[in-house]
Amino acid sequence: MSQKRFRIFRWKAVGPLLLFFVILVVLWILFADRIARKQAESNLSETLGTEVDIASLRIRETDAAVDIGGLAIADPRDRMRNLFEAGTITVDVDPVPLAEKKIVIDQVRLSGLRFLTGRKTPARPADPNSPAGKLLSETRQWAKDKFQFPKLALSRIDTVKSLVLNPEQLGTVKAAKTLLGKVDSTRTAFEQGLAALQLKPLVDSSTALASQLAKTDPKTLGLAGVKNTITSVQQAIDRIKQAKGRLLTLEQTAKSSLGELQKGLQDVNAARLKDYGFARGLLQLPSFDAPDIGASLFGEQSTDYFQQALYYAKIAQKYVPPGLQPWNRPGPKRTRLAGTTVEFPKEKEYPRFLLRQGDIDLATGSADQNTFKASFAGITSQPALLGRPATLVASGRLGGDSPVSIDLSALSRHFGSSPKDSLQARVAGVSLPAIPFPGLPFSVNPGKSTMGFGFSLAGDRLAGSWEINSNQASWTADSTRLQSASLVESTVWRVISGLSELQVRAELGGTIDSPTIKVRSNLDDAIAARLKALVGEELGKAEQKARAAVDQLVNQQVAALQTKVDELQSQALARLPVERSQLDGVQQQLETQLKRLAGSATGGLKLPKL
Amino acid sequence: MLTLLKLLQSLFKTLHSEGTPGQVAAGIVLGAGIGLTPLLSAHNLVLFAAIVLLNVSFGGGMLGMALFTPLGFVLDPVFDRIGLALLNAPGLRVLWTGWYNIPLLPYTNFNNSVTLGSLVFWLVATVPLYFLAKWAIARYRATYGQRVMNSKFMKGLKASTVYNIYSWFRPE
Repeated sequence: MSQKRFRIFRWKAVGPLLLFFVILVVLWILFADRIARKQAESNLSETLGTEVDIASLRIRETDAAVDIGGLAIADPRDRMRNLFEAGTITVDVDPVPLAEKKIVIDQVRLSGLRFLTGRKTPARPADPNSPAGKLLSETRQWAKDKFQFPKLALSRIDTVKSLVLNPEQLGTVKAAKTLLGKVDSTRTAFEQGLAALQLKPLVDSSTALASQLAKTDPKTLGLAGVKNTITSVQQAIDRIKQAKGRLLTLEQTAKSSLGELQKGLQDVNAARLKDYGFARGLLQLPSFDAPDIGASLFGEQSTDYFQQALYYAKIAQKYVPPGLQPWNRPGPKRTRLAGTTVEFPKEKEYPRFLLRQGDIDLATGSADQNTFKASFAGITSQPALLGRPATLVASGRLGGDSPVSIDLSALSRHFGSSPKDSLQARVAGVSLPAIPFPGLPFSVNPGKSTMGFGFSLAGDRLAGSWEINSNQASWTADSTRLQSASLVESTVWRVISGLSELQVRAELGGTIDSPTIKVRSNLDDAIAARLKALVGEELGKAEQKARAAVDQLVNQQVAALQTKVDELQSQALARLPVERSQLDGVQQQLETQLKRLAGSATGGLKLPKL
Repeated sequence: MLTLLKLLQSLFKTLHSEGTPGQVAAGIVLGAGIGLTPLLSAHNLVLFAAIVLLNVSFGGGMLGMALFTPLGFVLDPVFDRIGLALLNAPGLRVLWTGWYNIPLLPYTNFNNSVTLGSLVFWLVATVPLYFLAKWAIARYRATYGQRVMNSKFMKGLKASTVYNIYSWFRPE
């Protein structure tokens, strides 16, 4: 019986396998456009942290090109608005890098652009756990934490009588408690340190030795006795010198600790100033200083713009890391765990994504109405491989009867020692939306305005400016609230409602951790002068009462604290010289006895050097 | 339903008579590769082609896939850790950088922690899994096999006429 020969390959399965691959290819041809569109929507939505819709996407394999139609990017901060819409986008892809799963776009052309258009359906909010969602909430929180503008809540000056402060809310109380603990521990440490020196037994024993020697005639001791006595005295003097050294160290430590306590007192006073502000805040007293009025009226609006710019700059920093180090990013969305996908960029190779050149052509309207041109270049996921920054330059005029002129430039440099993202924009003739005034029943409609915006993030350094200039400003009031408005609110309304000029300028500076903002407007001085004249005296009284309310709670504690610090200081500084003088005195006595012993010794006796 | 029925037929056929325990075990090992690693990866096309073209049990492959796909989901966090440790290992950076820039290789998604971790896990497990499966099938056939074949369920399954295609891949 012959055994059947075992064969490794199953040749008759080649046909079905080929059929299977053919089916895969057919499915790809049928569904590739849809899959790519969904994938592009998903990736862009995740990256930008907002809904991105693509109406159509067609891959032209033979031309190595992609046609995209109806791109809409929703505003992450307003779900009923699109930030950007593009009618058609043609993307010419370099086919060679595709073999390495890298997308290099030779050129992209956009047309039919529209900005800030309304949406029919609200956009899906970003997943709060996605990187972009987290960045969005972080920048919102950043703006909330770092910028607090005084409110022009003008109707509450008379509520000062109802001010009730809780001591636990006051920073002064907390600072005083902390410092009190420090005073006690400093005192204990000082006393323990002094006790550890054991100065009294040393002084007593040394004094006794000096007294005993004073009564002793050296001649009765003999040569050996004198020698032994001199050695004992010298040892006693050494002990005194060592004790003086330790006393000096203790004195230096005590002085340093007392300095810290004095600084603590200064901190308590600084906390008290903050508490005055806190009490003022509870009373919602308005500040009538001109810079505060600018910040009250336009601070939130300015912060809003800067916050958006920071969000996009951080998105750029997150997705475009500097350098050529391996870069971890979240894996693809799938039923299985996404995991982490690691990029391994290499010099002289293609980056994972590169857009070499892009042109924007606004083809709406007649040619003479629109002279707008924009181009961008060098947009890549690994700028260190490209070695030059991503740039966007746009300028031109849009519209017919009331044209809007735009000048825009942006730069993103994510290589070298510190990354930098910056944007400069100037738009003239644009109709800006109404700006509400926080806490007040008014809003301003700037009308056709010139708006400038600049922002830059270099490392963690921020710089930015935002300005509006308009001579067609109009003012709107909530008539119901205006009827019940306070005298001050009515006064402000009378000041601003007669103005047609609006000039606002906000400047951002500092770092992400410590940003600064200055907001000025042409309304500030006019409002400040009128309000100071009207309610300055009443406001001064209210401020005094706010301070008194704080003082009433903290004065006693602060005074007691001050007394304790002063007592400790005077005790420590008074006690240490006494101890030192005692040591000096007994040292002097011993040295006198030593000299006497040495002088009485017979010739030829070699005395130890003093 | 048809697919499920076919799968059940292939499964029982596999366990009972089709191919030697070694062929079935080899099929299971290859199927486990597809089941353990994320499905949409280029290496799975290679594994699938291997199941079809090599003289291993196709049913074994399907069985391996069916058994190890849920296990893959469960073990994903482990795969993620293994993969990330390998991808971030300084000593392997040159290797990964080279692979990342070789045409077609990035389509295997080797630079994804779950894909790499699961693939490495599967590669390490192939030999013990092969011998374990081979032993288990031989033991099953010697003990419960005949009883299951004579059960009413199995007779009903056999009466179905929808598994002819399956016979193309029967081990020789």
